Amino acid sequence: MWRYIIRRIVVQGIPVLLGFTFLLYLVITIAPGSPVTHLRGVPNIDEETIARREAQLGLNDSFPVQYLKWLGRVLRGDLGLSFDSSRRPVAELIMERMPATILLSLSSIILAWLIGIPVGILSARYQYSVLDYTVTFLAFVGISIPSFFFGLLLLYVFALRLNLLPAGGFFMAGEARTLLGYVKYLLLPGITLGLSDIAGIARYMRSSLLEVKGQDFLRTARAKGLTENVVVYKHALRNALLPILTLMGFTIPFIFSGAVIVENIFAWPGLGSLAIQAVNERNYPVIMGINLMFAVLIFLGNLVADISYAIADPRIRYE
Amino acid sequence: MRRMMLAVVIVCLLLSAAAAAQEPKQGGVFRYALTTNPRGMFNPILNTETYDSYIISMVYDGLIYIDEQLQPQPKVAKYWEISDDGLSITFYLHEGVKFHDGVELTAHDVEYTYKTILHPEYTGVRYGNFKLLVGAEDYHNGLSNTVPGIEVIDDYTIKFTTTEPYAPFVTQFTYGILPSHLLEDIPVGELERADFNRHPIGSGPFKFVEFLTDQHVILEANDDYFFGRPNIDTLVFQRVALDALPIYIRQQRVDYAEISPDNYAEVSGIPGVDLYVYEALSYNYICFNMRQPRFADPVVRQAITYGFDRETYVEVLREGFGIVANAPIPMASWAFTDEGINEYPYNPELAAQMLAEAGWKPGPDGVLEKDDMRLEFEFLVPEGSRVTEQMALLFQQNMEDIGIKVNLVFMEFSAAVDRVDAREFDTFTMAWSLSVDPDPHGIWHSTSPWNDPGFFNERSDELIEMGRRETDLEKRKEIYAEWQRLINYELPTMFLSYGVTIAAVNERVQGIDTEPGPLGPLASLERLSTIWLAD
Repeated sequence: MWRYIIRRIVVQGIPVLLGFTFLLYLVITIAPGSPVTHLRGVPNIDEETIARREAQLGLNDSFPVQYLKWLGRVLRGDLGLSFDSSRRPVAELIMERMPATILLSLSSIILAWLIGIPVGILSARYQYSVLDYTVTFLAFVGISIPSFFFGLLLLYVFALRLNLLPAGGFFMAGEARTLLGYVKYLLLPGITLGLSDIAGIARYMRSSLLEVKGQDFLRTARAKGLTENVVVYKHALRNALLPILTLMGFTIPFIFSGAVIVENIFAWPGLGSLAIQAVNERNYPVIMGINLMFAVLIFLGNLVADISYAIADPRIRYE
Repeated sequence: MRRMMLAVVIVCLLLSAAAAAQEPKQGGVFRYALTTNPRGMFNPILNTETYDSYIISMVYDGLIYIDEQLQPQPKVAKYWEISDDGLSITFYLHEGVKFHDGVELTAHDVEYTYKTILHPEYTGVRYGNFKLLVGAEDYHNGLSNTVPGIEVIDDYTIKFTTTEPYAPFVTQFTYGILPSHLLEDIPVGELERADFNRHPIGSGPFKFVEFLTDQHVILEANDDYFFGRPNIDTLVFQRVALDALPIYIRQQRVDYAEISPDNYAEVSGIPGVDLYVYEALSYNYICFNMRQPRFADPVVRQAITYGFDRETYVEVLREGFGIVANAPIPMASWAFTDEGINEYPYNPELAAQMLAEAGWKPGPDGVLEKDDMRLEFEFLVPEGSRVTEQMALLFQQNMEDIGIKVNLVFMEFSAAVDRVDAREFDTFTMAWSLSVDPDPHGIWHSTSPWNDPGFFNERSDELIEMGRRETDLEKRKEIYAEWQRLINYELPTMFLSYGVTIAAVNERVQGIDTEPGPLGPLASLERLSTIWLAD
């Protein structure tokens, strides 16, 4: 097992990450627009100052040189300095916002699984019932509705009309950080971010369970007189959960990247606004840093999914 | 637009009449809504983002500040003298001004602040403002170790000398004065990474308390402030999502916010909140690439301007939030004139006639042609603003009516700027936001890198140079009036509208400017040190 994990990382992970960062750096540097564009707006700024800034930021180097310099720094554990006026280390900018993004993403993942799996199971258990149709209908709505729109809708209803929950943000200045406070601020962005996953997971769970339900060993189980509840919950469920585990590996990175949009709607102090700002300003080191982190997350997510697959299914063993 | 502003002002006058009877009250938390996060570069000579400058202006004091009439007024400098030849300014500082750590602010701190901007390793963007100082260039290029143009006469007197008379110079001395005793040991090249920038110490009305990324900045009243302790205890710059701003205003979770015209109707109905609409120091425009022969004749540019219904653009598309512009100095500036300014009212018949008289004839497809030139061109439009996109469609339609074919090219902002900088455009639309001094040199002089239309006119250059040298305000006004008439005739760009800003202010906030000029109800943020909160 350990050999497998190490091989995955060395043979697969590193080349993929190298290729990915190379392509990404290429794309963001050949894209039109420059990191010093916004300096045009500074009154009385002269061309010399802008040229100096470009030199300071290393923009005069050719693409391969810029990329290799970046890569060299990354290999030494340094993600570089942000291009904006504060010139802060990218790692620091990311770390500062990571906890908020992780908090939001984890909450919405947990929410999605807590709601999605039971709903999917019930929906499969009572296939073609009113409950099943309702769940299916709602799931399609949930998958189809864009998160920015759903977020605004929630803001309108719960923050403006009912005045029950805050309109985004994360603790006002001077506000005590209570558990209830966390729940209050997390609820709307968490649901917005989790919605499509709730729906997706419910649908996957349903079809996975239905597929298992039709298999021979369950017919045997029924034939020996087990009740439908025992058949479904005891025998079918564990098998049906397998593909869902893979799904988990895939959804984690999507949740993180989905957070980028949701965080902007709710002024959530996570990576989202940093990422969008960085793209608008062509802040190369920040774009690279955030994407590298997402790439590593996706890779690890897949790895974890494969490993948990092996743990859940005795037939699968990695050499 | 005008009528609506009047109504707002009257309501405010009534309210403030009732409030005026009250005595200023101490205490309370004032919350200012920010829709974009400050970067945490709270250093007046290194920051580039506007929101960082808000915090900077409260933590530091400058030698001078700019008042509601856009004129320089004394601050740390109790007064200043300009020499007869217009070359030097001597600032006389107050004695006893103290930084938040108790150390007195002297002329040496002022020297440190401005000399650092000229340093060869300086990483900020302010050098252009001060390169006229005697010896600045040599020092900046590492050829000398001194700047003769900055002279500390004694602890409370400092003299700045320029190589040529430069009228707007005094307005450049608003930058916060840095405490040299905390910074002079840090190499200038590393200053941008100093921890000080995130824990600033100045001499301003508020002390820095906390900056939480993407959440808020907290400042507290400086009890020992030289010009008197602020009435409010705590000043919070609260980050708010743009979409949630009206909700924050309605729930009175913020006391002050700038809102977009889209939110005007929604916010205007909220009880306890006053709205102020005021002219901004900005305008937007459609720029012609005069390097192309077809745009070289002023008649073509004028005809296109006559042919575009800018009234509809401002009144309908912008819902009245703006004023049709005809020259590059905004109405809000003291240098604005409308005397002898052609308003180019919408007149497609006149436009068509002017083009016909200039020899433009419809080609086989109806598009106007002359010699080997053709009035079919690309119009570069930065994406992101609904109103701008609608404006582009209106322009296209209006131009079609007079035989001009406009091909719209929508592009992300940064990418559009690339095309403009490379001069690879026929026409484009963007906006300028201007500094308080009307000196047009930076945008309009033939040597300016930002002269996007490629406008080269001897008389214009001459007037711009005269305006920079003239220290008499009235004479400067006359020079700029003539210059505006020249630009108004030449139209290197078609001026669309002067911008307006809308501020939503909770009515418990007292002591604001209820008839705001371009700096708004808080006169930039200057009034935050004197406003108070009613019960």
